[in-house]
Amino acid sequence: MKVTIDNLSKKFGDVIGVENLTLHIEDGEFVAFLGPSGCGKTTTLLTLAGIYKPTDGVIRFGERVVNTVQPKDRNIGMVFQSYALYPHMTVFQNIAYPLKLKKVSKADQHDRVRQVANVMGIGELLDRRPGQLSGGQQQRVALGRALVKEPDVLLFDEPLSNLDARLRLTMRGEIKHLQKDLGITSIYVTHDQVEAMTMADRIAVMSGGHLQAFDSPDELYDRPKTQFVAGFVGNPPMNFVDVSVQASNGRFFAETESLRLEVQAARGAPPASYDGPVVMGIRPEDIQIASNGSVSGEIFVVEPLGREDLIDVRVGRHSFLLLADTEDRHQAGERVSLAFDMEQAQFFDPKTEKSLLWQ
Amino acid sequence: MKARDAVFDTLKVKVDERPQSLPQDLVEALRLGAISILVLLIAAFLFSGVIGPLFALGGVEETVMDVLTRLSLLALPFVAYIGGASVARRYTRSDIARALGLAFSSTVILFAVISAGYYVLDYGVFAPRQSLQMTLSQSEAGIRVDAVVAGGAAETAGLQVGDVISAIRRDAVDLDAFNRRLSQSKEGDPLRLRFKRGEEELQETVRVVLVSDKQLGALWPGLALALAFTAIIVFLPGHWAPYIALVGLLSPLIVGYFWVIIATFSFRTEGLVPLDGNDNFGGFTLKNWESIFVGNIAGLEFNIVPIFMTSLAIAVVMTFVVLLVSSMAGYALSRMHFPGRRFFLSFTLILHGFPAITLLIPIFIVLLRLGNIPVIGELIGFNTVGGIALVMVAFQLPLGVWLMKGFFDNIPWDMERSALIDGASRWRTYWEILLPQIRPGLLALGIFAFIGGWNAYIIPATYSIGTGVSNLPVFLNELIDETAPVDWNQVAAVGLFQLIPIFIFFIFAQEYLLNIYAGGTKGSS
Repeated sequence: MKVTIDNLSKKFGDVIGVENLTLHIEDGEFVAFLGPSGCGKTTTLLTLAGIYKPTDGVIRFGERVVNTVQPKDRNIGMVFQSYALYPHMTVFQNIAYPLKLKKVSKADQHDRVRQVANVMGIGELLDRRPGQLSGGQQQRVALGRALVKEPDVLLFDEPLSNLDARLRLTMRGEIKHLQKDLGITSIYVTHDQVEAMTMADRIAVMSGGHLQAFDSPDELYDRPKTQFVAGFVGNPPMNFVDVSVQASNGRFFAETESLRLEVQAARGAPPASYDGPVVMGIRPEDIQIASNGSVSGEIFVVEPLGREDLIDVRVGRHSFLLLADTEDRHQAGERVSLAFDMEQAQFFDPKTEKSLLWQ
Repeated sequence: MKARDAVFDTLKVKVDERPQSLPQDLVEALRLGAISILVLLIAAFLFSGVIGPLFALGGVEETVMDVLTRLSLLALPFVAYIGGASVARRYTRSDIARALGLAFSSTVILFAVISAGYYVLDYGVFAPRQSLQMTLSQSEAGIRVDAVVAGGAAETAGLQVGDVISAIRRDAVDLDAFNRRLSQSKEGDPLRLRFKRGEEELQETVRVVLVSDKQLGALWPGLALALAFTAIIVFLPGHWAPYIALVGLLSPLIVGYFWVIIATFSFRTEGLVPLDGNDNFGGFTLKNWESIFVGNIAGLEFNIVPIFMTSLAIAVVMTFVVLLVSSMAGYALSRMHFPGRRFFLSFTLILHGFPAITLLIPIFIVLLRLGNIPVIGELIGFNTVGGIALVMVAFQLPLGVWLMKGFFDNIPWDMERSALIDGASRWRTYWEILLPQIRPGLLALGIFAFIGGWNAYIIPATYSIGTGVSNLPVFLNELIDETAPVDWNQVAAVGLFQLIPIFIFFIFAQEYLLNIYAGGTKGSS
């Protein structure tokens, strides 16, 4: 089922939930809404579910306009952060509830609940009540309940944020696998960019009720269109420095009082033609500690992450996060020289925060 | 690391400081006792000397302040002993002799101080006492006068040594009864004594005087009590204290229930002791209960069945309507936005604060007018069970609506959204998903409403004047009004009869009631 959102706005009195959102989601696609708390992603999801009525704009499921269609008539399944299982019903009754409301026969209900429960690996828990289950099991029940009525669209509202880190990893894989298997159009709200990057076909990055970008994970990572997207996607986050880009003899240099880095012509030309300083962004993995580095700085903090060390290096009044092999055993206070991979550098307009490289 | 060790070291030193030397402990105990005495004295002075007169200025009676003054003075010695004994408690596990020695010595000293204070101030055991100024003893024939104080009240009235007192006015007395009578009289009260001098029957009136004899011998029972009290404090396991306080505070209620139960099954009672016609222990009977069902108490004829049914009807209608309306209104107030919602919320709260009695007359007029409407008037007008139930429901609703709103507020929105998305209508969500989760709340409100309706007195009594419509509480009052002499054992039987449905209700509902306090609906089954 294709989901088309055109110029959607939702306001609560004077408070803007989401404004002028346009998204076209393909059939069978897995889309993540990514953004910090209060960015309007859950509001959008609930509007899609029919809990909120849009203030403005059009939502289509397939060709059908669903703006005023009741939630029960939209044939959607939803998984909530709090699971929202019915505590007074057993697991079986919970999963069977959508079928019961659809007036499916008892025998069919039984078969379909069993089938879904087995897929979710909760076949032996059907007689328990939600209060007797662990968080992960509750999450599977919630997922089973959303899937059992074979919905056209699946909605996820931060379904993994109440689980512990290990379980989150497992469930992430399972949900992605299940979605690909069933081919149900899915919309997944999260504030965890790792979840969004790993699971989604395309990510809609939102901030302050506005859509910042809607693209594939790689595209967002390599060619961020706004400074917000660049900073939000990727972990550890991108380093930002105010630089002025100068052209001299066909070569381009990004400069501050303590830095002078050469930029390739393709990347350097647009910021060089900008009037005034610009924001340069460079990801931690694009900075190396190397003996022949062009910039020297002092290590301020070393945070061991296990596989590698996250190192904060101070260069003049700038601070750069970068990753280094733990084998190198860097210490705070050590003086190091840095090599920047300027082919990966991003440049942003400091006023509009839009990328100077990609439009 | 160093700093942490240092902290542990200081702690260790503090622990090692105990036990202190005995005099040190004693000083600490006495200090605690003295502080308690001072605090209570200041409180007593505040009540009687400052707050009381202020109230009096406003024309308010000082009775409450008087009671508070007396209470703080009465509690004074006991609190002082507790203060002293609490120091001794730290040795109960290690050194019992030391604990007792410390507690007793502090108690004796505090007792001496307090007694000295009483002596100086003519208070407590040294307060002036009602007396007839003669010494009496119980003998075979009656109360014998052993000695009279020269020039005292008895001698002035003409009593002599050797007289045998048999009665005060017409009431035969022994020495206990005589002393009780004396202690209840006030200064100057005349007591007309019948007594025998030899064979001669005489009567004389003696006036009660107040004498403060200040006999030190009166202190010994007090001291014994103080020491026993201290010993209990020293050995009382700490976790018993709340229970003892609770039982102490509840004792009037507990004794009351015991009395009601004993009284309904006995001929008559003296205190909690059932007695038969000859004042001997016994006299158990089912007559009191029988009379309820026979329908005749001390000549007042009645039929208990319609009275019972009226009570039941009011209670059941009230429970049903209150639950229905409160839960739906609570849902609306919790989940929906509509104009006037905030006003409605605060307005119901104000309504809840309105005492029913102030509205009796206006409601009376409303019911009277309602009664004039054909058909509806028969159901909810004046002098009908429906009318009474309607008024009772109105008074219960504000509380119910607020209670239900609170319960609905606690159900996460996601639960409701989930049901809507699963395909339920809003009504079905309310009925199948939300109501089961506030079941403890519904039960609690239902019980409140049922008990309220069942025990209702003022409203049924007011709006059913002069008709056959009366419920059990109204009937109970009639019983006391219209029978003379009142047979309290039979009244008690009717009272206990009224309690039976409530007991049954509680036996079945108490698990759910407890459930409310054990964490609401969260994850409950």
